Amino acid sequence: MCRQHGKLHPGLLTLFLFIILTLSGCGSDEKDEITSIDQLDRPDCVIGVGLDCPEEKLLRSQFPDAKLVQYKDNLLAIRDVADNRLDAVVYARVPMELALANGTTGVRILDENYCNNPVAVGISPKTEIIGLRDKLNDFIDEIQDDGTMNDMFDRWVTKLDWTMPEIPQAEDPSIKLVVGTVGTIEPYSFYSGTELSGLDIEMAYRFAAWLGAEVEFKTYDFNGIIAAAQSGDVDCIMSNLYFTPEHAESIPFSDIVYYNDIAVLVSDCDAVGANGEVKGFASSVRDSFEKTFIREGRWRLFLQGLITTVVITIFSIIFGTVLGFSLFMLCRNGNPFANAVTRICIRLVEGLPVVVLLMMLYYIIFGGLSVSGTTVSVVCFSLVFGAAVFGMIRTGVNAIDRGQLEAAYTLGYSDLKAFFRIVFPQALPLFMPSYKTEVTSVIKATAVVGYIAVQDLTKMGDIVRTRTYEAFFPLISVAVIYFALAGFMTFLVNRIELRIDPRKRDPEEIRREVER
Amino acid sequence: MTIELRHLEKKYENLTPLEDVNAVIKDGDVISVIGPSGTGKSTLLRCINLLERPTGGQVLLDGDDITAAGYDLKKVRRRMGMVFQSFNLFGHLTVIENLMLAPMDILKKPKKEAYETGVNLLKRVGLSGREYQYPDQLSGGQKQRVAIARTLAMDPDVILLDEPTSALDPTMVSEVQAVIRDLSQTGKTMMIVTHEMNFARAICNRVFYMDQGGIYEEGTPDVIFDSPQKDLTRRFIRKLKVLELLIDDAHSDLPGMGSEIDRYCLENNMFPRIRNHIRLVFEELVQQILMSELKEPVIRFTAEYSETDNKTDVTVLYNGAPFDPADTKNHLSYRVLKSVASELVYHPGSDEEGFTNTCSFVLPG
Repeated sequence: MCRQHGKLHPGLLTLFLFIILTLSGCGSDEKDEITSIDQLDRPDCVIGVGLDCPEEKLLRSQFPDAKLVQYKDNLLAIRDVADNRLDAVVYARVPMELALANGTTGVRILDENYCNNPVAVGISPKTEIIGLRDKLNDFIDEIQDDGTMNDMFDRWVTKLDWTMPEIPQAEDPSIKLVVGTVGTIEPYSFYSGTELSGLDIEMAYRFAAWLGAEVEFKTYDFNGIIAAAQSGDVDCIMSNLYFTPEHAESIPFSDIVYYNDIAVLVSDCDAVGANGEVKGFASSVRDSFEKTFIREGRWRLFLQGLITTVVITIFSIIFGTVLGFSLFMLCRNGNPFANAVTRICIRLVEGLPVVVLLMMLYYIIFGGLSVSGTTVSVVCFSLVFGAAVFGMIRTGVNAIDRGQLEAAYTLGYSDLKAFFRIVFPQALPLFMPSYKTEVTSVIKATAVVGYIAVQDLTKMGDIVRTRTYEAFFPLISVAVIYFALAGFMTFLVNRIELRIDPRKRDPEEIRREVER
Repeated sequence: MTIELRHLEKKYENLTPLEDVNAVIKDGDVISVIGPSGTGKSTLLRCINLLERPTGGQVLLDGDDITAAGYDLKKVRRRMGMVFQSFNLFGHLTVIENLMLAPMDILKKPKKEAYETGVNLLKRVGLSGREYQYPDQLSGGQKQRVAIARTLAMDPDVILLDEPTSALDPTMVSEVQAVIRDLSQTGKTMMIVTHEMNFARAICNRVFYMDQGGIYEEGTPDVIFDSPQKDLTRRFIRKLKVLELLIDDAHSDLPGMGSEIDRYCLENNMFPRIRNHIRLVFEELVQQILMSELKEPVIRFTAEYSETDNKTDVTVLYNGAPFDPADTKNHLSYRVLKSVASELVYHPGSDEEGFTNTCSFVLPG
């Protein structure tokens, strides 16, 4: 019936709405509230676990009936428990407690620990520091023996006292220690203002001082950090990294430094509204704004991210345009073989997901060379943009009648001069609309550079999100900034378009110019 | 400037518009190039300024071989203007800019001079006041006049015009022709491909009739238009529509040929009376008289209908011993033949194809 009429039957629509509304209520009413870990072993139980965490294996063997969902972002997993999409999250206790302390409601953490995860330092097999693993082990022995480790753990994790102590820097360092870290897990590795801070970060400073080295931090996404060590981009990983058999197959590890308590977080229907007064919309926005932008000067993170995004975008647009145009000029009268090769390369660039291309460039093609992520991003997006520019110029130029070129030839123009004076000015207005679209899409596409340790706008939004424990406000802020940026770039291109479209010149100006 | 074409040849993969073209174009010549479509008229023009590269032969310009590898074509082309059927005005520029661009870019003329030349040329082609319009704001005839002015702005020695009025509405043809006629009286060397016979005749001092892969016949307008020497030229000039039927044994499909005659007459919008007469000649002479007279008949039946005077020439060639249809015993058929033809001539004698008898009719319009 519906199909025949081509639109949704109103009664059916009401039914849908009813079902959706019913489902969106507290669906757990019919389930027993989970009060102990044993209750997780039910076929209808959905559990969120951290990506790449050892407890996943344990859960699978202990609760074979439960369904496991992997999360990269524990904050999102916690939200999903609060929204009843998940029954429980199994994750490190301290970060979850911090989330609760920062105003996450509707969830609680069970008292008993599920397990302990060993944390160690991952070491790059390609590091140039000789005997790094032995030195690390010596260092770890030393700080565990003299109580420094206990003191650090006590301050950062137990007491949540997050002041970074003054650590004497190595004088006249002869070597450089590059440390990879994620910068998104309190209290181990996180951004305080624009500076990295946390237990693992303090340990890195101490180790560098002990080693007599200068320390440099590079931040990576969870997915990319092991690959960064494998490719030799960093010397070691100090980032609350779990020692697991799988990880140990990929890279060597130091001795175990400390343990993470793993706890279980479950939904808590009673606790809704337990925090007391419900805030007004305006004041909650003001609060979120203060947390996201003002506190610790976090706006500087956004600004840095924005600058990175703008730099990558602008250079990619410039280089991509030059690349696409040059390729087009080379192919214009080129031989069929060269053209076919170019065509295939362009297909390749266009056919790959940008993330895959980016990772291939970073880890394979530029792997091992000390080329910064930003440079690789510019290369990647220049290729993508260049391929698009090549295509649009070709389409635009092909749309110009061949007679234009012939008329120019018969007036005595050379091929190149005829192209630039006659054909190209007419093709330009034809492909400028696609060019504008491409500019906007390259801005948006750069959001994936976080994969290769570039801290662009999106990545900075993620970093701030891990500090404020608010999923939406930083996300929306980032969205607004992207939108404004895209608008501004389109405005710029529009101005250029007005300048270069010969048919949009001011008639009076033509007259003055011609008769002068 | 003298242009000499030597054994010019242009071959495409499955088409050879120019097989062997030889001609000398002298300074001040105004040459009309005429001929049926597809005979390489435009190709010839485009081979002269090398928009198309000939596959063989040479183009000599004052004795220089411009088809030689590495010859600087830009220098040649600026001395040979070209006017295209599709105008090819530069769409992104105003009319005056169209006229100024090449003189400034190529001849390095100062802007002021280029502007003044442009304004004068526009006046000459009757388009003063259109300086700041864009080509797409002009009518077809105006566009073509601007295109001619653009060519003149380079002050070329030779102007090649490739069907300059073919893309125009009939109402606009005359304004463009007037400009070209004026131009032909200035003594500039011109070569014009056209289908307008009267116009061609009025402006040129030489005519190239092109057919069969080359210049089939060449001559003054009076000779070509009034008394062409060769068959194909005559057919073309008199706008003859030709039908040829060949009967090469006793079992040929004669009724089929009858309907071929019908189709031919229909296609050429001939009066039914003429069609009946052609059919009568075919039936009475070929079917009735010749097929019974000849033992091994080989007969060629040719009808040439002229659009200009509605007359049809029918020629029947056949083999065997000399035989005048007047001697036939079939008096009835012969009487019919006599009644439809205004002229009926028989003469014996063999031609190169082996026919030994010729019988010609003129069927009046």
